[in-house]
Amino acid sequence: MRTVDERVRELRRLLEAARRVYEKRHELVPSLARTTGLSPQGVLLGFESLERDATDAQLRALVESAGDAAHVHVILSANVFVGALRALAFARAAAARVTIRPSPRDPILTEALVDAANDPGVLLTSERDPRESDADRIDVYGGAAAIEQVRERARPGVSVRAHGPGLGVAFVTRAADPADAAPWLAEDVVVFDQRGCLSPRVVLVEGDAARAERFAGALHASLDEWAVRVPRGTLAEEERAEARRWQEALAFAGRTWSGSQHAVGLGERLLVPPTGRHVQVLPAADALRASELLAPIAGAIVTMGSDDPEQVRHVAPPHARLATLGQMQRPPLDGPVDRRPT
Amino acid sequence: MTDPVRLAESDALHARSLAFVRAFERGAPAAEPFDALAVDIARFQARHVAGYARLCAARGVAPERIRSAAEAPAVPTDAFKAATVFAFPRDQARVTFRTSGTTIGARGAHPMRITSTYDAAALAFGRAMLAPDLEPPMPVLVVGPSPEHAPDSSLAHMCATFAQAWGGGAWFLRDGELDVEGLRRRIAELDARRPAVILATSLALAHLADLAASLPLPGASRVMQTGGFKGRTREVDAAELRRAVARLFAVDERHVVSEYGMTELSSQFWEGSLSRAATPPGVYLEPTWARVVPVHPETLAPVPDGEVGIARIEDLANVDSAFAVLAADLVRRVSGGFELLGRAPGAAPRGCSIAVDEMLGGR
Repeated sequence: MRTVDERVRELRRLLEAARRVYEKRHELVPSLARTTGLSPQGVLLGFESLERDATDAQLRALVESAGDAAHVHVILSANVFVGALRALAFARAAAARVTIRPSPRDPILTEALVDAANDPGVLLTSERDPRESDADRIDVYGGAAAIEQVRERARPGVSVRAHGPGLGVAFVTRAADPADAAPWLAEDVVVFDQRGCLSPRVVLVEGDAARAERFAGALHASLDEWAVRVPRGTLAEEERAEARRWQEALAFAGRTWSGSQHAVGLGERLLVPPTGRHVQVLPAADALRASELLAPIAGAIVTMGSDDPEQVRHVAPPHARLATLGQMQRPPLDGPVDRRPT
Repeated sequence: MTDPVRLAESDALHARSLAFVRAFERGAPAAEPFDALAVDIARFQARHVAGYARLCAARGVAPERIRSAAEAPAVPTDAFKAATVFAFPRDQARVTFRTSGTTIGARGAHPMRITSTYDAAALAFGRAMLAPDLEPPMPVLVVGPSPEHAPDSSLAHMCATFAQAWGGGAWFLRDGELDVEGLRRRIAELDARRPAVILATSLALAHLADLAASLPLPGASRVMQTGGFKGRTREVDAAELRRAVARLFAVDERHVVSEYGMTELSSQFWEGSLSRAATPPGVYLEPTWARVVPVHPETLAPVPDGEVGIARIEDLANVDSAFAVLAADLVRRVSGGFELLGRAPGAAPRGCSIAVDEMLGGR
């Protein structure tokens, strides 16, 4: 069995590969823009979330959380293109042998990483049927239906680690100036056009409705600026339709600020917006009220951002990662992004 | 606080809505154009439902300038989860219907101050579509929860209304379990000369077909099925389910009729295959007091006949909540009615079938 130090060294080699891929990111932009639907500027911004370094303590934590297996087969979805690195690292920390099947819609970064890593322990595969894999563990990333299908089709005795859909939430404490906090949150929203499970879609602003309204207005202004620097990519017809319905509902329930590439809605009851740069802002009198408002979606929250991450600990579900606003899309490489039970 | 002027205004609108229903029952034309009442209801709602006033303002619509039903902005069904959608003091609510839970747990609420308009509308059109040739009393067997077990279910309320009006009912879903043996016993007791009516969700019928091989009903009996399967543990092709249900109850396939309704509305739509011989299965008809308009999912403008859009539903019986509702269902106008083509992609699953499936432990 490989020691922890050996595993950490292998992870360091993977990070070196990630750095090499990052260095040639401009070459990958056109093809990634095609496959992800992000704008070229959106792809470049997404690359900033590609993990390229980590402390020993972080990598040891990752090894500890990864478990042990002889062979891990990784099945990826197409939501966030840089997610391939962490998925690969998590599997490689667990097993000496890794096979990885990228999303057929978005294989580019996975292929680039595997190629750059040149690791005999990691093999790309296009095999879609989990029954055809001789792995003793399958790590599957994707929607609930895809995960269920893998569970059903996995051979008996194979352990399946599922990483399902989720979302990010932010909490702006009373100590923060809403106008100062909004630009940081805007950056978290824009990365990957909000399609990742770390992307914030709901913001609770501690205080009264007027504070929440100030935050919403400032967020709208920030997202307008981002639309120029990093234009939103393409939205599917059903995403645009869902966005329109959500905006109509929030116009009824409260107030909306609509930009050409985003919308911010203010309301007192939770109505989770669709992805594609749509954010709901809610006032919360205090942390207790914030917890109550989030209760219906607590199981779906992967990360919680705040101007004061320590204070947000009382609001966030226990499994959620905590982050400073502006850093929600850049969690340390110390384990899976999603810490919910698999 | 009670506002007598507002309530009197609401009562008057209910009376005008009810006049549509009564005219339909007599086979007579309505006393006034659809749009005339629609405009008055929309303006009333803009005055007394704060959210509707906001929606009108956000769309640049001045309520007093609304001249036709089509000009009234439609309230998305999600708004029933995110805000209050009623035009009367909260303590005046006689009943509050709630939507099934979704993946995020939010349930929409539709409080009603007056249920008599809902009941009259449901009975008039339900009878015309499901049992136009039958005379009560006809026993009603409900494969669903009773209003006592599900007091916030509009479907349970509608089924109970039918049972009360048509000759008494019996319920065969309790504590999440289908009471197949109870249903079998009740069917065995039926007078073979008197047709019965089964009311059930599609999902409950699919479960029932799995559990029982044959439950033959008296000749000319009817079966209402409602709700879909989207997002649930199983999906069954509509034609296949219709065949299975007809076989199970030994009824003509034409006597298995689908209903389309939702908590946010006060009116329902029915397949016309029984009431209007030339109407193929899958084509739904509207009562004279409600319309289904397919609209473009982004512009919300009506799409040409024959094209698929999302359902904008105009319901004159929804006096105290939302006259125009924007559903998440895909529909297409066809000759004489509309087809229901499932849920808009990406939309959260909804439906009475889902609540029953949850009770059956399908989640």
